[in-house]
Amino acid sequence: MAGGNPNKLAIRNRKLAINMNLYKYASPATFYPLAGKMIPWFAIPAALLFATGLFVGFFIAPPDFQQGEAYRIIFIHVPAAWMGMLLYVLMAIYAGVGWAFNARLSSMMASSLAVTGAMFTAISLITGAFWGKPTWGTWWVWDARMTSTLILMFLYIGFISLQAAIDDPRRADRAGAVLALVGVINIPIIYFSVQWWNTLHQGATIRILQKPTIRGSMLAALLIMLAACWLYSVAVVLIRLRCIILEREQNTSRFAEVGV
Amino acid sequence: MLRWLVWRDLTLAWRRRADMLSTVFFFVIVVSLFPLGIGPEMQLLRTIAPGVVWVAALLASMLSLGRLFANDYQDGTLEQLLLTPQPLFLVVLGKTLAHWIVAEVPLVLIAPLVGVQFDLSRETLWILFASLLVGTPILSLIGSVGAALTLGLRGGGVLISILVLPLYIPALIFGAGAVEASIMGTSPSPHLSLLGAFAIVSLLFSPWAAAAALRISLE
Amino acid sequence: MMNWPDLSMGGYGFYIWGSYLVSLVAIVWEVVSLKQRKKAITQQQQQSSNSVPASVLRGSINETTS
Repeated sequence: MAGGNPNKLAIRNRKLAINMNLYKYASPATFYPLAGKMIPWFAIPAALLFATGLFVGFFIAPPDFQQGEAYRIIFIHVPAAWMGMLLYVLMAIYAGVGWAFNARLSSMMASSLAVTGAMFTAISLITGAFWGKPTWGTWWVWDARMTSTLILMFLYIGFISLQAAIDDPRRADRAGAVLALVGVINIPIIYFSVQWWNTLHQGATIRILQKPTIRGSMLAALLIMLAACWLYSVAVVLIRLRCIILEREQNTSRFAEVGV
Repeated sequence: MLRWLVWRDLTLAWRRRADMLSTVFFFVIVVSLFPLGIGPEMQLLRTIAPGVVWVAALLASMLSLGRLFANDYQDGTLEQLLLTPQPLFLVVLGKTLAHWIVAEVPLVLIAPLVGVQFDLSRETLWILFASLLVGTPILSLIGSVGAALTLGLRGGGVLISILVLPLYIPALIFGAGAVEASIMGTSPSPHLSLLGAFAIVSLLFSPWAAAAALRISLE
Repeated sequence: MMNWPDLSMGGYGFYIWGSYLVSLVAIVWEVVSLKQRKKAITQQQQQSSNSVPASVLRGSINETTS
């Protein structure tokens, strides 16, 4: 048809333009203001979802048959545990991409994710202890889940410590990437070995920190809280990312030019 | 090339025999601390022996890891090795093998003696020996990644420990588990098989990861 | 189907409210420490003000350099 060639050219040019537009956001200096605009869009819904989730969890979900009211801790414990694991995997992916493609912003994202992930893992450990004491009698229980969470905490601490010990930011980025990738590959192995260890040392029939039978409203509250934690994480990680960008890029010419 | 590297590292280590011996002494001392801290009751000691011996082996390995690359790094040999046409992971493999021979094998050999302090039966002592024989290469291999990442950094030994000890945990679980199974009379072979599998996985991945880490640290 | 929970949570009050309090403290700490970090950076940069113009900090950048 008559319009064949020019249309194809226009489409190709548009695709090129979009790609180039997206790639520009790989630059820390350009992503900085975009991140700033994104933050409220995640922070405010996060706060709303936290409120909703807690409302459903405390006012609508009924007490558990076995654990009574004590199970309500899971509405913060379980989402925190999931976020801890999810953020570690994300951190490893961003770090790996930053290393493979030499993309500074991706590595900075990994560094930012690490702290929030560690925080959620810590919350998961502490709330797990608070859950264990009334339901099982001791503050700490060496079951597979708590032990694996503890090891995840160690992995986070290792990543953060390594990056803190290296002065050169690019070496810190790449070294962190190697460590995070080694960690991510080891996580299934570690998890399996902890399960193995756990079933060896206690009767297979006893399961400590048993989850309550999940009913509709409980599941709803759990999912709402998970979404809230997720949105909160995005907001906080972006805030920290902006701080990292400022700290690392302040003396580059890009920033100076961009401001003029 | 590999043989030359290993031989070179062994020769250098032999010239610093004291380092080798200090690792062994550390191991023996740490193991002896536990009965002192817990009490001499033999039944209890027999129960904790697998864990204690294995943890002491982990810690002793930790201490020796600093030496894996540091000496060559300080006198510039490491950078030269990076420039050779040989693939870097072979270099790493060679140095790791030498490290295992120098730092870990003495532990493996002395472990049965130490196990006697805990009143372990002869069969259990054999399993202890076997578990460490299969497990210590894992310690050297994974440790090499930590040593490569922390090359030249302040905070040295403690930083390596933070990085590497969590990764050692599967080896600890399977290794100590094998010895414990032997004490309780059940078969240690599932544990030893898993330990062996982990060793093979480490062998396949660690030299490559450590080589990448070396490049990163030396840029 | 709303049920008002009793505040003592059947005796488990300390553990439940304790958990949520700790989580709240952690979240607040994270946000506050980030705000302080940002403030420290901007103060530092205002002192050496030729490197980062205030327009960057306000986020009013619309163009890229080539």
